Amino acid sequence: MASADKPINTDVPEKDVFTLHFLQSLSNLRRQNTFNSPEKTNDRVKKIKKAAYVSMARAAGGTNRLWSRALLRRAAKENSKVVRFPRRKKRVTCLRRRRSNRRDPVEEEEAERLRNLVPGGGGMETSKLMEETAHYIKCLSMQVKVMQCLVDGLAPK
Amino acid sequence: MDLTGAFGARSAAVGACREPPGLESLHLGGGDGGFTALLELPPTQAVELLHFTDPSPSSSQAAVAGVGLDVSPPPPPLHAYGALTFPSNAALMERAARFSVMANEQQNGNVSGETTTTSSVPSNSDRVKTEPGETDSSQRLENNRCGIGKRKELDKKVKGSTKKKSKSSEENEKLPYVHVRARRGQATDSHSLAERARREKINARMKLLQELVPGCDKIQGTALVLDEIINHVQSLQRQVEMLSMRLAAVNPRVDFNLDTLLASENGSLMDGSFNGTAMQLAWPHQVTETEQSFHHRQLQLQQPPQPQQWPYDGLIQPAWGREDDQGHGNEHNSLMAVSENLMVGSASLHPNQVKMEL
Repeated sequence: MASADKPINTDVPEKDVFTLHFLQSLSNLRRQNTFNSPEKTNDRVKKIKKAAYVSMARAAGGTNRLWSRALLRRAAKENSKVVRFPRRKKRVTCLRRRRSNRRDPVEEEEAERLRNLVPGGGGMETSKLMEETAHYIKCLSMQVKVMQCLVDGLAPK
Repeated sequence: MDLTGAFGARSAAVGACREPPGLESLHLGGGDGGFTALLELPPTQAVELLHFTDPSPSSSQAAVAGVGLDVSPPPPPLHAYGALTFPSNAALMERAARFSVMANEQQNGNVSGETTTTSSVPSNSDRVKTEPGETDSSQRLENNRCGIGKRKELDKKVKGSTKKKSKSSEENEKLPYVHVRARRGQATDSHSLAERARREKINARMKLLQELVPGCDKIQGTALVLDEIINHVQSLQRQVEMLSMRLAAVNPRVDFNLDTLLASENGSLMDGSFNGTAMQLAWPHQVTETEQSFHHRQLQLQQPPQPQQWPYDGLIQPAWGREDDQGHGNEHNSLMAVSENLMVGSASLHPNQVKMEL
């Protein structure tokens, strides 16, 4: 049965929201006393990266988006925290694979690659995957812009 | 083309007959069998029309007038049957396009006995939407296609249902259930219908992605577009990683830079808050001082933003406004100053403060 959808919504909040979240996470990181020691650069890098992604996920729509949910869950698992997401009316359904001869082998391979890239892509159908990818790309570019500005601002004169 | 319009008008009066050879010479430059078959009218009518300066009896006049066709302009000058020229007037073209639509409808309506609904008109006009301004031959080709397409659709013969374009994606999105007409030669079982609807959904989203990723609209074919999208996502992720590395490298040095920056840029600002802030940078665990400085700033929020003072909005808004330009210098200083203030501040105060000026 074919069901139509409303116009696809991929709105992303403004830069300020992203910056705020990111800076908050950065300030939390700085509070850790072991953070600024020069030997542990790799750890720092990883933490900053994770903070960037997590803050992006939170800024970009919290739990409304599948990829952000998956990201947050993944991050929480590393910290061994339990994350609860509010139950939505519709459950995320299992992957419905229709048996059909119009399945493009090339397209499915690409879809597989996309699934590996986009967080939370494993449980999505192809059309939903593309929607999530669009939103993810928008958020990623926004985050990159924010970080670029920060780095430029903090760079040694 | 007044010709087609008049043909459509006349179809009511005339049954279909084969074309006499006389019309062969009338080859209007378009598809060979298509156009003449489309007409399904005796070319004698055409010949009559061509002869008359004042074409049509009153009935067709009325029918045509109802459609809005203005038949009064004289028929195009005939050099010979073989070399029929049509006016390339844009306005006439457009009118003719619309009338060809009407003509097809009336014609087909008479053929199958169905009353055409207006819903098929927009669908047809969608198909002929490139009409205005096109040359004669291309327009005639378009008519050919329209006519053939319509007739093939009719072959499916769904009685009483409104004709919808089987490709009308915009209709798909409005209705909860999609009434998809199967095109000729395609299976009508539920699997393929659902599959086709799914295909259309995927294509719609692919278009969305193509707009997002720069340089994707020129590429044809879904596989390459997907490749491009994947590359873009990977490059964005790599950029985030690289920037986070740079941030990590910069971070420990922040203290030194900020003191000088704050001092240089905001020399005339209220000393209390800035000293407090500067200290915060060095010793981030002193929270109380921060709250005081925040209160200072909250007081200043009431005042009109001036470059001399330290208005929170004054700093943030130019920063945000100019971030797009990726300019260096002032806005980055202010952004960084703001960022440092945020960094050292307590988390609870941030949302309140930022909400005040966001």
